[in-house]
Amino acid sequence: MGLQGEVAQLRHGDLDALSALLTRYQNRLYRYLLRLVRNQAEAEDLFQQTWVRVAEKIRRYDPSRNFEPWLFALARNLAIDHLRRVRPESLDEPIGNGESAETAAARIPSGQRPVTDEILQRERRSRLGQALETLPVSYREVLTLRFEEEMKLEEIAEVMGTPLSTVKTRLRRALGMMKLELESRFPGEDWRGQN
Amino acid sequence: MNSRHKNGNDKAHEEIHSLLALAVAGALSTSEEQQVMSHIASCSECASELEDWRLLVGGLRRLPTPQPRAAVVERARARAQMAMTEETESRRNSRMLVLLVCFAWVVTLASWPIFRMVSGGLLVWFDPRFNQTWLVFAAFTGLLWATGGIAAIFLGRHRQQERRTA
Repeated sequence: MGLQGEVAQLRHGDLDALSALLTRYQNRLYRYLLRLVRNQAEAEDLFQQTWVRVAEKIRRYDPSRNFEPWLFALARNLAIDHLRRVRPESLDEPIGNGESAETAAARIPSGQRPVTDEILQRERRSRLGQALETLPVSYREVLTLRFEEEMKLEEIAEVMGTPLSTVKTRLRRALGMMKLELESRFPGEDWRGQN
Repeated sequence: MNSRHKNGNDKAHEEIHSLLALAVAGALSTSEEQQVMSHIASCSECASELEDWRLLVGGLRRLPTPQPRAAVVERARARAQMAMTEETESRRNSRMLVLLVCFAWVVTLASWPIFRMVSGGLLVWFDPRFNQTWLVFAAFTGLLWATGGIAAIFLGRHRQQERRTA
């Protein structure tokens, strides 16, 4: 059954469809939440809350709209509310502690690439991950939605509840800030994550 | 000396330069994209900068995907399914309540002519001291209580049945 079928079934209260959707989106949704809150325990809690919210609100979902932006917008609202409550300063200011980059990276199962390549790749990813962590939440968010979730700009605007022009501005500033951060943290080093 | 100085078009160069990050993000219009492409064909500085952006974006795309713990996923599944079941039950109960209220009104209105006939005929014959206001009050109170009782029994049985099947 495709995504639309699963969503339609879920709207009729089908618990199997809920389970199928959870399996389909579990990694992406968790990654998005982790990028927003930068804390494993909080991301896990928000992950659970998001699916409860999906169950509660699915009947109000308009099937003519894309499911993904709707789902991510639900998660976003919960995460932003959480941050506003727990760490209000994190919504405005870049914080450079880089606490959860290693936590997240450490939990990735390693592939079957040669060991030396793997080490270099991991090092580059770690640098990118660290730089990403230092960005303000709205910049982290726009980068993860565009380049990790591969969402279209219109979908990102829907998730963030902002005009398309704001998404473009944030994207440009986020990339600029990311590059500056990498150049200042690792001057003269290869941080680009090139293969 | 780089190509922009040769062309003597610093302003265009600056404009294109500011679009490079958006170009790799796929956030330019077709015409802007064409402008960028034709500019980098003759500007090595912008071409190199664009390559840097591409590498950065490539790195972001290859960042590892953290995975939630299996126990967390299972907890989320269980909590969501419970919420869904409660939501379904709540909607069903609400619908049932509306139906029962409608039923109560139908019964009340339909029984009114019968009640009038009985109170105007038989009851007066059995006990002429019966006051009509008292009868109306008693009949309606009885009907309301009966309807409420039926609704409560119905909902209680329904819930019991659901708990048994859960």
